[in-house]
Amino acid sequence: MSGQGEARNVDVSQVLRKSTGDSADSLEECLAVRDLDLYYGDKQALKGINLSIPRQRVTAFIGPSGCGKSTLLRCFNRMNDLVDGCVIDGTIALHDMDIYQKSVDVADLRRRVGMVFQKPNPFPKSIYENVAYGLRIQGVNKRRILDEVVEKSLRAAALWDEVKDRLHDSALGLSGGQQQRLVIARTVAVEPEVLLLDEPASALDPISTLKIEELINQLKTNYTIVIVTHNMQQAARVSDFTAFMYLGNMVEYDKTDNIFTNPAEKQTEDYITGRYG
Amino acid sequence: MSSTPGGQSAAEPTHPSGPPDEELEKSLARQSFRRRLRYFNDQFARVSIAAGGIGVIVAILLIFVYLLLEVIPLFQSADVQQVADYRLEGAADAGLLHLAVEEQSEIGMRLDADAVVTFFRVADGGVIERRQLALPPGATVTGFALASEESGLFALGFSNGTALIARYDFQTRFRQDGTREIIPHIEYPFGEDDFILFEDTPIDRLAISERADVLLLAGVNTAGNTNLIRITQQRNLFSSFNLGGAAPQFEVESLSLSIIVGDVDQLFIDGDQRWMYFITDRGRLSLVDLRPALRGQASSINQVLDLVAEGRRPTRISLLLGDISLLVANNAGIVSQWLLVPDSEGQMSLQRVRSFEVGDSPVIALSPEQRRKNFVVADADGHVGFYNTTAHREAYNEMLFEEAPEALAISPRGDTLLAELGGGEISVWSVHNEHPEVSWSALWSKVWYESYIEPGYIWQSSAANNDFEPKYSLVPLAFGTLKAAFYAMLLATPLAICGAIFTGYFMVPVMRRQVKPLIELMAAMPTVVLGFLAGLWLAPFVETNLLGVFSTLVILPVGILVTSFGFAQLPDHIRHRFADGWESALLVPVVVLLTYLSFIVSSGIENLFFAGDMRSWITNDLGITYDQRNAMIVGLAMGFAVIPTIFSIAEDAIFTVPRHLSYGSLALGATPWQTMYRVVLPTASPGIFSGVMIGFGRAVGETMIVLMATGNTPIMDINIFEGMRTLAANIAVEVPESEVDSTHYRILFLTALVLFLFTFVFNTLAEIVRQRLRNKYSTI
Repeated sequence: MSGQGEARNVDVSQVLRKSTGDSADSLEECLAVRDLDLYYGDKQALKGINLSIPRQRVTAFIGPSGCGKSTLLRCFNRMNDLVDGCVIDGTIALHDMDIYQKSVDVADLRRRVGMVFQKPNPFPKSIYENVAYGLRIQGVNKRRILDEVVEKSLRAAALWDEVKDRLHDSALGLSGGQQQRLVIARTVAVEPEVLLLDEPASALDPISTLKIEELINQLKTNYTIVIVTHNMQQAARVSDFTAFMYLGNMVEYDKTDNIFTNPAEKQTEDYITGRYG
Repeated sequence: MSSTPGGQSAAEPTHPSGPPDEELEKSLARQSFRRRLRYFNDQFARVSIAAGGIGVIVAILLIFVYLLLEVIPLFQSADVQQVADYRLEGAADAGLLHLAVEEQSEIGMRLDADAVVTFFRVADGGVIERRQLALPPGATVTGFALASEESGLFALGFSNGTALIARYDFQTRFRQDGTREIIPHIEYPFGEDDFILFEDTPIDRLAISERADVLLLAGVNTAGNTNLIRITQQRNLFSSFNLGGAAPQFEVESLSLSIIVGDVDQLFIDGDQRWMYFITDRGRLSLVDLRPALRGQASSINQVLDLVAEGRRPTRISLLLGDISLLVANNAGIVSQWLLVPDSEGQMSLQRVRSFEVGDSPVIALSPEQRRKNFVVADADGHVGFYNTTAHREAYNEMLFEEAPEALAISPRGDTLLAELGGGEISVWSVHNEHPEVSWSALWSKVWYESYIEPGYIWQSSAANNDFEPKYSLVPLAFGTLKAAFYAMLLATPLAICGAIFTGYFMVPVMRRQVKPLIELMAAMPTVVLGFLAGLWLAPFVETNLLGVFSTLVILPVGILVTSFGFAQLPDHIRHRFADGWESALLVPVVVLLTYLSFIVSSGIENLFFAGDMRSWITNDLGITYDQRNAMIVGLAMGFAVIPTIFSIAEDAIFTVPRHLSYGSLALGATPWQTMYRVVLPTASPGIFSGVMIGFGRAVGETMIVLMATGNTPIMDINIFEGMRTLAANIAVEVPESEVDSTHYRILFLTALVLFLFTFVFNTLAEIVRQRLRNKYSTI
């Protein structure tokens, strides 16, 4: 547990450089976090985070409960703004745009950085309307476009075949796993650049979990995915990069293979071998 | 839970003194006691909660049943039972002129064509007194007219052209031992002398009418001439004291109508002594305006019409109580009611307003009741029917007699029916006919009331005189209820829902914790205080500051918008001085200031455009009636009372919409407003809807505010500047002055039942809609 108190600076560029080995050109920085501190009132929840998230890869955040991984995830689409007394210091850049600048339209940012929550939260509307929601709030009401996008998104979320005959039934009649995939389809429908998944499978049964994981694998060809998970096997299965966080610090960030087979830090090793957490 | 040796051993070190077995037993006993206590608590909770719930349902059902029991008699048919049947001594000697029963149904009176009055006991037919009225020498009775059943005043016309006016009366006395004694007698309120209508030509038909101190006596002789005598009682200060001895003074005028109507069979003068009806035996009526004749000028026939269809004949004609309506029975078993109604040119003409089918055979006896707009008829088959004209209701119709009765008499209370059959046989029936005035049409349809020019919905349950027609239409009351509720909801719904949205969705939690209880506190205000303030302070205030109130309605919203916009334009460092979410508190002084400003500005505008007084401008220039206590006042006061109800429920519904739903929407790039009306509002809609419905239910049932802040006039006008009377306020106003178990009393219970059903149906509908909404928008 040595060194847990000090804020660690994980050299992001190094990580990326390290990982370039075989596919140097394909890695491109999507989200860049610089010296991020976050306070809930007096309590500091994130301490000097530096992180670079590559484009069209899956990055997983792991760590024990309360380590700040979900908080960090919510910084990427400014959902923390909704929390009273949340103060942020530092910068997060989405393709060179500082998302905490005053001029940023938060609604537009959230469209570009979609988010899926731990608990499936379909709206009490039909399946169709759930998927079309993101377009409708942008003023798209043409039936033809909506039909197209709904089908495309449901196919992308591997849900189309299961629901195509009951698109206008209530979304609440779906199973938990289907609901979560519906939420993913809904998020995908607005064509975000980044997908933030906050423990997307933790409320689901193993079979649904498997489907979600398969889905993540399919989606990463088009989207930059950041996933928070408690399940280390899941992180190992789905992610390309893994960040281990502990008590608001970014302890280690590396290629997933490295983290799980050859962690640089003692803390990381302790955690993934189940010694605490 | 389980008691194991392990538990015992764990307890051992703390109580080293106690033997292990004892400890174990103690712990077992304690556990079993706890288990029993828990079982008892569970049972107690189960039983008491069930009892409470069932008790509530039973209480509501009991209220419903009680109301129903009070109301049911209104719709029951009359019941008629024979109590006696006897042959009256001397009744067969001469033809019957009139049959009557007194108040207590103890004594009957029979007047025959020989001018013999027989008073007899109703119970057994024992004759109490027979008296021969004085006939002029050598004359016979040729005409008879009764002023009204209540007064007992009648006139006998003789073959020498003179007429005698007398009255049968019954005086009640109490003997020393407290028993009641009823003494019948004949009196001559206009003197015992005969009045001369014609010189030596027999009177053929007579009519008599008494109104205040004026008596009109009209006669037609066999030649068809009509003469009129007006007898005015002279009253002066001294005669008012009636010191005794002094004979009443009369002024008698003889007036000629100079009208000749042939074949007159019946003659009537209406209650206002303005119109005279000449009716032939074929049913042709000639309507004569008496006013010229009474002024000494010549009267003429105003209208001639046929009361019965071609080929039919009128059998019995009578004036209904109040002497306004004419009841015409014909030989086809139909009784029709006729009213004098002005036509489009203001000419009065008789119109048939409704008719009653008694049976197929000719109606041969008809008698109006003395205190209600009822009449009883008998037809040639022996059918007897009881009818109410206002309600257009047949309360009873059964075949009571083998043969046709010659005449019917009904007691003043309407509880005894006397029928004279052929050969002097009298048949006595007890009648139970409590509430003939009520029928579906009387309550809910347009009714053509006496003295009205067209059918209408009127509520007027009492009046100063006894012969008035009660008007029990519930439509104006139901209308008033809805009107009051409508204006209250018009104010309350948008304010309460918008307030709920802001408080439940946008307001910072700290402020919400202050604001919500404060608004809910508004509900604690006694409505009688609200009503009092509304009626005595707000109503006059609004009347004098009408334009101020209206300009507030415009200036306030606009001002709030401008202020908010202006605030958003302020530099950041100024805006950030106010804690996040508390900016709305800045509006409080703005609202106060703007309201004050509106009233300042309004007087200037009033002078400029409305000649200084908008209230008179509305009345005079727009022609809109303005009552001080009107629907707007009720809307403001009752809206104030309803706001906390709607607000509280709607706010709870909005606040409890799961955060993850709104987060889901926000995470998709929706703005807070989009999230609010696309996700939060639909999800909260069942709660908002039930809030509105409960508010509406409260507005419908609210009593004190509408009682005090409206004029309680049962009018039907949607005009916001006029008042109304609601069902609830009507009950509160009229119950104290209604006679227990009377028709009026039971109708008030009926209105309570209507109110109850109204709320019940409305709440049930609301609940159904709410359930459907909830199914649609239920959250996981």
